Amino acid sequence: MSLLDAPAVTVEPVAAPPRQPGRGRYLPYYLAISPFFLVFAVFWLYPLGYSFFVALQRWDGIGPMHFVGLENFRFLLTDATFWTSILNTLLIWVMSVVPMTVLAMLIAIGLNSSVRFTGLYRIAYFLPNVTSTVAMSLVFASIFSGQFGILNWVLGLFGVDPVPWLTNPWGIRTAVAVMIVWRWVGYNAIIFLAGLQAIPDEVHEAARIDGAGPVQAFFRVTLPLLRPVLLFSVLMSAISGMQVFAESQVLVGNRGGPEEAGLTMVLYFYNEAFYSNDFGYGAAIAWGIFVVVVIFAILNWRIVQRPERRREVAR
Amino acid sequence: MTLTRRTLLTASAAAIAALTTSGCASPPTASPGRLALWYATRGLSEEVLRDAVARFPDARLDPAAVGDGLQHRLLAAMSGGAYLPDITMLGDDVASYFPDADQFVDLFTLGAARLAGEYLPWKWQSGTSPDGAMIGFPIDIGPSALYYRHDLFAKAGFPSEPDDVAKAVPTWDDYFRFGQELQRALPGRYLITDTKTVFTYSMAQLPVKYFDRQNRYLRDQSHVREAWDRALRAFRLGLTAGYAGSQDPGTSVDRHAAWNTGKELSFVNASWITGELKESAPGTSGSWRVCRAPGGAGNQGGSYLAIMRACPRPQAAFEVISWMLSPENQPRTYLDVGLFPSSPAAFGDPRLRRPEPFFGGQVTMDVFARSASEVRPAYFSPWDINISDTYTDELSNVELTGKDPDRAWADARTKIERLLQRQGVI
Repeated sequence: MSLLDAPAVTVEPVAAPPRQPGRGRYLPYYLAISPFFLVFAVFWLYPLGYSFFVALQRWDGIGPMHFVGLENFRFLLTDATFWTSILNTLLIWVMSVVPMTVLAMLIAIGLNSSVRFTGLYRIAYFLPNVTSTVAMSLVFASIFSGQFGILNWVLGLFGVDPVPWLTNPWGIRTAVAVMIVWRWVGYNAIIFLAGLQAIPDEVHEAARIDGAGPVQAFFRVTLPLLRPVLLFSVLMSAISGMQVFAESQVLVGNRGGPEEAGLTMVLYFYNEAFYSNDFGYGAAIAWGIFVVVVIFAILNWRIVQRPERRREVAR
Repeated sequence: MTLTRRTLLTASAAAIAALTTSGCASPPTASPGRLALWYATRGLSEEVLRDAVARFPDARLDPAAVGDGLQHRLLAAMSGGAYLPDITMLGDDVASYFPDADQFVDLFTLGAARLAGEYLPWKWQSGTSPDGAMIGFPIDIGPSALYYRHDLFAKAGFPSEPDDVAKAVPTWDDYFRFGQELQRALPGRYLITDTKTVFTYSMAQLPVKYFDRQNRYLRDQSHVREAWDRALRAFRLGLTAGYAGSQDPGTSVDRHAAWNTGKELSFVNASWITGELKESAPGTSGSWRVCRAPGGAGNQGGSYLAIMRACPRPQAAFEVISWMLSPENQPRTYLDVGLFPSSPAAFGDPRLRRPEPFFGGQVTMDVFARSASEVRPAYFSPWDINISDTYTDELSNVELTGKDPDRAWADARTKIERLLQRQGVI
């Protein structure tokens, strides 16, 4: 998007022969940048407006629409299932992002220090990210299966009682979170690795000379310098975390399993719109998700902005 | 022609023009001039389809296996009014299309009535909307039966031949008593998959569901409460294994393993589970039998073929589908993809009445055929699946997370009432 702002700024003073007064003068430039706006209007703006329009209707997707005003939104606010789905989404996000970041950091540090086969490791860690979610869910279903799953068998070796992973609310959330960790840990490790490699050696050297041990150097030097990279990774995981869908769907079904523990916001939306054919209410849920994401984005933005402001004040 | 700026511009202008004009003239059907037929994978027999293409060259049939996303594609095409199939498969949610029956051809106008006698009356009727328009032509059905482990029943000294078992468990209560005794002889094993199956198959046996034929929510839902209480009783007696949502891969892993190890001694299910049972527990071949389900005959699932209003040659389409789904072709479909015939004439077919080694040489067709013939006609409303799911969700909560049953019932009722209010039904 930032590319599009550029021509307007650079072109204006150059192309100003007064030969062509009026609006027609800028036409070629508007034409040149129009494809983006046309595509945006057709594939983003129109669906956006239309989904709000649909949210005001009762509609099964085929027959005539019935205008119901804000009825769908009123229902949404009093819909316990919707609130549960928000809670689930946030819980699963926290349960996945914390272990994922720690793990990814450990892997990145390991990769950064190892000399041989780095390329091989990088590919190996990235592979889960490009594996089909559905195929993966089937494998995880066998791993987490309550009575005959591999995980419970391993736990049994250590004398731990089997955990009903897929029939217990917390078990379901854990299973979904583990799948997200598995999928994204390699991706984030590679981003961290890039960040680590961008830190100049002199900084570490200086720390060593000043007598910092490896642990101290990591927490006092490496981590603060990695801050922008860390923020980026948390931001990205928040974006994908708000959209968790296929993992839950394949693991526990459209309706989210016992106590709707696996029902995420997007899964609930899918369920109402495309499984129950209630497009009006589905659109209302979509707007509910939009509000949650906006709140989240504002929070993220504030967290990212704060240190800048502090620095400015300090100056 | 070399690529210069001029040729590039001309070419792209031409491409845009072509796109725009073709966009204005989206064809109403997916393959103009031919008869597009959409079906779910394994939803029809490929063999019969091939024959249909060859047998009706003038119809120019164009079958396409759409996979699991058929419903979504169909909805998208229907709301867009373009790229529609001429003929489409509909699942057991056929009732959800009744409010939009005008999008389909009423098969009675094509002379379907003369074929009514060849199909099971309750199935035939279930494809007809409350206004009397026939939308769905019967493909298959899902008659239910009790699947059980003959060898383990016999080992425990219990009745084990199909007729004897059927006699021992005529009602659900008898079945529960039978199960308790059997569990004493074979501890740690289960006779019921989960509370959900008890509720689902109890409801499947009833001639009334949740709505009357005028789409009015029934005031008296005591039969639903009965099915609910029965499911709870099975759970309290410790008869259910609790593989909730046994259709989802996560939990069917456990169920499949239980079939292999003999932990699941028996279960009530529609005939379509046979393929899954054979595939996931091949080692138990010969030990299974089927008999009449406790509580009687019921049906769960089934599908239909429908002709869209947009189809320019409905008569030709009807010729094709009525041939494909004729009593003569239904046995072939059953042998090819395991779809249970909806035409009673097919039940007597010698190829279908062959003894099955997986069931110890039993002719299972006879059991299912009887169940199919005894199913009572019932009206399914567009909301039935959602309502039933809400009840079974809450039953699973009781079974798996220890939710208070009274609260679960109250929650289910509130959810259903709110849903129906939102959809403007009550």
